Amino acid sequence: MTTCIITGAAAGIGKATALALSKTEYFHSYVLLGRNRNALDETALEMKKANDNVVVKSYQLDLAYPENIPDVMREITECFDDINCLLNIAGYTDPQPLLTTSLESFEYTYRVNVFAPFMLIRECTRCMKNKGGKIVNVASTAGMTPRPGWLSYASSKASVISMSDTLTAELAEYGIKVYCVSPGRCATNLRKRLAPDEDPKTIMQPEEVAEVICKLVSPDERCLDGQNIVIRKLD
Amino acid sequence: MYSLILLAGGTGARMQQSVPKQYLLLAGKPVIMHTLERIDRIDEIQKIVIVCTGEYVQIIKEMLRQYAIHTPIEYANAGSSRQASVWSGLQCVDTERVILHEAARPFVSEEDFRRLIEEEADNVMFGTSIPFTVLKGHDFVEELLDRAELVNVQLPQKFLTKDLYYAHEQAINDGKVFTEDAGMVFTYVKSHKVKVLQGMDYNIKLTTPMDLLTGEIIYKEHFARKK
Repeated sequence: MTTCIITGAAAGIGKATALALSKTEYFHSYVLLGRNRNALDETALEMKKANDNVVVKSYQLDLAYPENIPDVMREITECFDDINCLLNIAGYTDPQPLLTTSLESFEYTYRVNVFAPFMLIRECTRCMKNKGGKIVNVASTAGMTPRPGWLSYASSKASVISMSDTLTAELAEYGIKVYCVSPGRCATNLRKRLAPDEDPKTIMQPEEVAEVICKLVSPDERCLDGQNIVIRKLD
Repeated sequence: MYSLILLAGGTGARMQQSVPKQYLLLAGKPVIMHTLERIDRIDEIQKIVIVCTGEYVQIIKEMLRQYAIHTPIEYANAGSSRQASVWSGLQCVDTERVILHEAARPFVSEEDFRRLIEEEADNVMFGTSIPFTVLKGHDFVEELLDRAELVNVQLPQKFLTKDLYYAHEQAINDGKVFTEDAGMVFTYVKSHKVKVLQGMDYNIKLTTPMDLLTGEIIYKEHFARKK
């Protein structure tokens, strides 16, 4: 039974990806990880509506406390013995300029955006290393160019891009492919915090990013790992 | 089914490092883990006997946890010689067949192990041809040797456990010292010949600092991507 773990599936790109994947036959089971259990259960319900054959299970996990991840992964592997895919989609931002950024805010951003993906990748690799698998990390175009006022978020996403590069090489021996996508402006709750005055209808939609992620995790895709794939809507 | 004896008792004196070579990093990973990860994917190997000095048992246990190695492991004390170490490891073997390998030889592939296991002969070694001219002698040449008749002995090797056990018993009784086991089995076990399979030239033993540099290239060329 093939299993895909998704973070951030309560809303935005994570939810759109979970729903899009549930309409494919790439995986038999899905594990949704996040803080808001009710929202995850809602996503799970919608996935089941879309495809009655998929197995979906939600686990409550606050990604700001990545030290809890090994215990949750132990619970997950008791139910799902064949983890094939990990989608690190959850993100956090507290946009502030340098002089008003507190250490607590900076650290919290890194806990969710960097430390949690690192811990999930480490634990999932222990499950995947004998059979191979795929990992998709969602970074951001904010991690590629200067963004005054977004220091913690932008630098954390730069870290995700770099981490993906290193892990592509390190995990290749196990047949684990690591992908990194950097969406540009996308109509999510997180974007609303970064650009509160922007009209979400005028920018890229989560479903469009989800479509790309689905292509990356499809069994046919073998060539796009090891690069930072920018997803932008130009029209 | 097989047990595998992994020789990991070397001190690495020729590597000029304070840490034995099997624990140095190769492509960012301890040398010994390269081999253990590949062994872990071979279902026919039901137990690994790691022969090492006692001070490294806890270190290895922690590495096995970190690298999620599932194959059951036993530990045997390294002896004062390679031969004594194999003998020590043999005491933990309870399968009909045994594979011998050494931790300082990390460029063995899953395919090599599978070729060894699938080979019909009971006692099997890997060997490569000698690419250079060899003569017998030290200060003076004493004898010509025909390299076409010689073979460079590699590990892994597989044996019937009873053959290897018998050969070691006889060597102990005779007070003879062997530097590897195919030659020992050839010497004492006449009922089963030792078959030579074509080895890979990149399956080198890491011995000197230069080998570690060469090893990084071998890893990138042959192991960095899953084939």
